[in-house]
Amino acid sequence: MILLALAVLPAVALWLLAAGRGLDHRTVSTVSLAASLVALACTVAAVVARPEVDRPWVPALGLRWQLGVDGISAPLLLLTAALGVAVVAHSRSRPPAGGTSSAFHSCLLLVEFGALATFLTRDAVLFFVAFEVVLVPMWVLITRFGDAHRPAARADAGGRFVLYTALGSTLMLIGILALVQAAGTADLTILAEAAGHGIPLHTQTVVAALLTAGLAIKVPVWPLHTWLPPAHTTAPTAGSVLLAAVLLKMGTYGLVRLPLATVPGGFARLAPALAVLGAVGILWGGLACLVERDLKRLVAYSSVAHMGFVVLALAAGSSTGLQAALFANVAHGVISALLFVVVGGLKERWGSADLETARAALREVAPRLGFSLLLGLAAALGLPGLAGFWGEWLAVYAAWSPAPDRPLGLLRACAVAAVLGTVLAAGYALRVARLVWSGARTEPRVEDARSVEWGVIAALVAAVVVLGVLPGPLLATTSSAASALVGAAP
Amino acid sequence: MTGPLAIDAAVLAPVLAPAGGALFVLVLDAIAPRRGAVHAWVGVLALVLGISSAVPGALRAPGNPLRTLCLPAPDGACFYDAGPLASALQLGALFSTLVVLLLLWPVPPVPTPAPAAPAAPAAPGQPSPRFWVPGRRGSAASAHPIAGGGAPMRGGPAVLVALLLAGTAGATAVAAATDLGSWLVALELATLPAIALVALGGTRPAIEGAVSLLLTSLLSFAVAVLGAALWVVASGEAVFTTGAVARATATPERSAVLGLAVLLLVAGLGFKLSLVPFHAWTPQAYAGGSEPVAAFLAATSKIAALAALVVVLRPLAEAGHAAVVAVAVLAAASMTVGNVLALVQDDPVRLLAWSTVAQAGWVVMPLAAVRPTSLPAAGGYVLAYALATLLAFGVVVLVGAGLRDAPAALGRGVPHGRSLTAYRGLLRTRPLLGAALGLALVSLAGLPPGILGLAAKVLALQPVVAAGLWPLALVAVANAVVGIAVYLRWFALLVQPPEPVASAAAVAAPAAPAPPGAVAAVALTGIALAVTCIAPQLVLGLVG
Repeated sequence: MILLALAVLPAVALWLLAAGRGLDHRTVSTVSLAASLVALACTVAAVVARPEVDRPWVPALGLRWQLGVDGISAPLLLLTAALGVAVVAHSRSRPPAGGTSSAFHSCLLLVEFGALATFLTRDAVLFFVAFEVVLVPMWVLITRFGDAHRPAARADAGGRFVLYTALGSTLMLIGILALVQAAGTADLTILAEAAGHGIPLHTQTVVAALLTAGLAIKVPVWPLHTWLPPAHTTAPTAGSVLLAAVLLKMGTYGLVRLPLATVPGGFARLAPALAVLGAVGILWGGLACLVERDLKRLVAYSSVAHMGFVVLALAAGSSTGLQAALFANVAHGVISALLFVVVGGLKERWGSADLETARAALREVAPRLGFSLLLGLAAALGLPGLAGFWGEWLAVYAAWSPAPDRPLGLLRACAVAAVLGTVLAAGYALRVARLVWSGARTEPRVEDARSVEWGVIAALVAAVVVLGVLPGPLLATTSSAASALVGAAP
Repeated sequence: MTGPLAIDAAVLAPVLAPAGGALFVLVLDAIAPRRGAVHAWVGVLALVLGISSAVPGALRAPGNPLRTLCLPAPDGACFYDAGPLASALQLGALFSTLVVLLLLWPVPPVPTPAPAAPAAPAAPGQPSPRFWVPGRRGSAASAHPIAGGGAPMRGGPAVLVALLLAGTAGATAVAAATDLGSWLVALELATLPAIALVALGGTRPAIEGAVSLLLTSLLSFAVAVLGAALWVVASGEAVFTTGAVARATATPERSAVLGLAVLLLVAGLGFKLSLVPFHAWTPQAYAGGSEPVAAFLAATSKIAALAALVVVLRPLAEAGHAAVVAVAVLAAASMTVGNVLALVQDDPVRLLAWSTVAQAGWVVMPLAAVRPTSLPAAGGYVLAYALATLLAFGVVVLVGAGLRDAPAALGRGVPHGRSLTAYRGLLRTRPLLGAALGLALVSLAGLPPGILGLAAKVLALQPVVAAGLWPLALVAVANAVVGIAVYLRWFALLVQPPEPVASAAAVAAPAAPAPPGAVAAVALTGIALAVTCIAPQLVLGLVG
C-alpha cells in the first residue's frame, strides 16, 4: 500500500515526460490530478494503517527500502500529499509559461514524491537519497517555469537553490556516514531508541555539528538563508508553495530525526548556538519584511522568521519544545501555502509584486483574495484562533522554560527576542494590509479568485482556521512520539 | 597441465579473448585486405567472449579468487589472481571497449545528402568502408573546406580494431597480474595502443595530443619502473603480495624504502589516471583525438590504471601501510583543479576531459583511507563513472554527427558540435538523446535521478568518513557542490528552449542518417545506465 503511494507519482511523472509532449494542458493536468489524488488516498491509508516496509535495495551500501509512519511524520505526510493535490489543481487554470505542461507537472509530482519518500524513510542513508530527489525537479521548476520577465534572475536563483542545498545535503551525508560508522546501523528507529548511548560525546558533537550544519541550510537557519528569497521570488506559484510548505519542512524534520533523536548529547551542546541563530533569524526576517518592496520576497523573509521559531523550539530540548516545533512546522506549511497561493496569484495579475506601485485596494476589487491575504498575515503573526498562534506561543513558552541541561538565561533572552519578533510581524502585516488591502483606489482592476483557485484558497483558509481552533488532534498525534524522543535522551 | 606452469585457459579468457582477437584481425587483414566491417565484427565477438568469461569471476566470493599460471605445488605462487574486484574491473574495461568500438563503427561510404552541401564533397567514390571520425572536424574545420566530410582515420579498420583490442588485453591483464614483470608489461600494453589511437586521428592537434601523451607515459613508465625496482629492494620479491609487504615492513629501513616505492608507483599511475599534478596531457589528448578515442582514454584506460593501482595497494591495505595516505593529497588536488577548470570549458570534450580529472580524484579518494572497504569503493566508483562518461561521449558523437551532416545549419553560422551551445534545447529537439545525456550528466554530478552516481559517491565517501579523514571529506563536500555546478551548466542548456534558427534549419535540412554504431552504443550505455540507476547493486555489487 505504502509502496503503491510512492510508486504512482514517479511512474506518472516519467510517463508524462516520455509521452506527454503532445498532450494538451487539460489532459496532463487531469492525469496529474488523478495521480496526486491517488497518492493522497494512499497516504491517508498509510497514516491510518501504519504499514512497515523493509527490503534490501543496494546491499553494497547497506541501503534498504525501510519505510514507516509515526506520529512525527504522519502530519507532514498528510500536509505534503494534500498540498500536492492543491498545487496540481491550482495549476489547472493556468498553463505554465516557459515549457511544456507535461514537464511542469512531472516536476511537481517528482518533488512531491521526493518529499513523501523523505518523510517515510526509516533508513538514514535512504533519507539522504530521498532528500536529494527533490533537487533537480525543483531546479527545473525555478529555472524553466519561474518569473518569465527575468531569465538571468531565474538562472541565478535556481543555481543558488541547487548549490546551497546540495552543499547542505552533502554535509549531512558526511554526518550520516559518521553516525552509521559510530553506531553500526542506519536504522533510524534503532538509532533513536539508542539515543546516542555508546557513542563518545566528542563523536556525538562532531556528528551533530555536521548534521545540523547540513540541515540548517535547508531549513534555512540565519545566516544560511540567502538562497531562499531569490528562489521564492522567481519560482512559479506552485513551486513556491512546495518550496515553503514542503521542502523547508524536510530540513526541520531532518533536524528532529537525525541530530535531535540520534545524538542528543551532541545536539545539546550545539543547542544554545542554534537557539541564538533562531532568535536572530526571527528578528532578521521581521526587520527585512518591514522594508522589503517585493511582496513575494517579503513572504519568503517571513518564512525565515517562522523557521526561526521552529529552530528555537527545537533548541529548547523539552517535550513541549519538540511539540511546538512540530506544530509550528505544520502550521507554517499551511499558512505559507496560503500566502504563496494568494501572493503568487496577485503577482500574476499585477505583472510584478512591487509594493511601491500604486494599485487598486484589494478590499474593493478582489475581496476574496484580500480577505485570504489578511487572514494569512494574521495567522503568520500568531493571532489567537489561527494556526500560527499555537506553534509560536508554545515555542516561546518552551524557550522560556527549557530542558534542565540548557542554559536558562540565554534561552530566556532568545524567548524575549522571539516575542519582539512577533511585534515586528504585526508591524509588517499591518504594512502589507495598508499598502495592498485597504484604500479607496479601484483602478487598475484585477480579477478576484474564482473556481479552482478560490477552491484551493478556501480549503487552505479552512485549514488555517481549523488548526487554530482545534489544535488538539494534531498535538495528540505528535505527543507520544515527541515524549518518546525526548524521554530517550540521557 | 603441461610443463612446470599450470595454465587454465578458461580463467585467462578475459585476457586471451581480446589479445587473440587483435592478432586474428591483423592476420585477417593480411590475408584479405579492405574488409572493414568484418574486422569490427571480430572485435565485437572477441569482446563479448571476454565479457562472458569475466562474469563468473566477478560473481565469486571475495575469498575465492580465480587463479592460474601457478607454480608447482611446493612454492605454489600464482601469477594470475583475479578476485571479484579484478574481474569486475576487467568486465568494465571490456564493456567500455565494446562501446568505443561501436562508436567507431565503420560506415559504408554514402554520397553526401543531395540538398545538403555544395561545399561538402565527402570523398565520393571511396571504395572501402571508412571509420567515422567526428572529432577531426572540430580541428580541421578551418583548414579544410571538406570539414563536413569526415575523412577516415588513418591506419584502416584492422589497425584500429587491433589497437583497441590490444589495449583492452593490457587492461584486463594488469588487473590480475601479481608479479612485477607482467604488471609492467601489461600496463604498457594498455597504454601504448591508446597513444597510437590518438595519433591516428592524423590532424595536427591529434599528433600534438599523442606526443604529449607519449612523453608523459614514457616518463610515468620510468617512474613506475623505478618504483618497481625499489619494491624489489624493499621486499626482496618481485610480486605484489601480502607476504612481500610483511617482509618489507619487518624492518623500519625497508619499510621506508617500501613507502618510497609505493609513492613512485602511485605517481607513475597518476599520469595514467590523470591525477593532478600529472594531468597536463589530458585535455590536449582528449580534444586532439576523435571523440571515440577520448572515450577510450576516459573509460578503458582509467579502469586499467585503477586496476593496476589496486594490484599495488591491495597487499598494502591488508597490511595497513601508512604510505597510502599520499593518495589523499592527489585526490583532493585532482577534484579541485578538475572541477574548477571544467567549470569554464566550452568544448564538451574538454569539459569531459577536465571532469575526468576531477572524477579521478573521486576514484582514488577512498584509497586514501586504509580500510577493507576502500578498494571495492574505488572500483565501484570507477565503474559507475565509466558508464556515465561513455554515455556522455556517445551523445557528443551523435550530436556532432547530426551537425556535421547538416551543413545547411553550419552554413548559417550555427556553432558546430564542439561547443556547448550546440546542446541548447536538445531535450526538445531530440528528446531521447537529450534524456540520455541528461541522465549521464546527473549521474556524473551524483544527483537523482542519476542514482548510480549518487550511490557511488556515498560508497566512495564511506571509507573516508570511517577512517576519520575529515579534511579530505570536507574537500570532497565542496567538490561535490562544484561538480554539480559543472554538470548543471551543461544540463541547463538541454532544458532550455531550442534556438529558433537552429530548429528552423533542422526542419529545413532533412535529418541525415545517424551512424548506426554510435546509435547502438548510446542505446546500450543508456539502457545500462537507466537500469543501474534503478538497481545500483548491479554495478556496485560486482566489486565485492
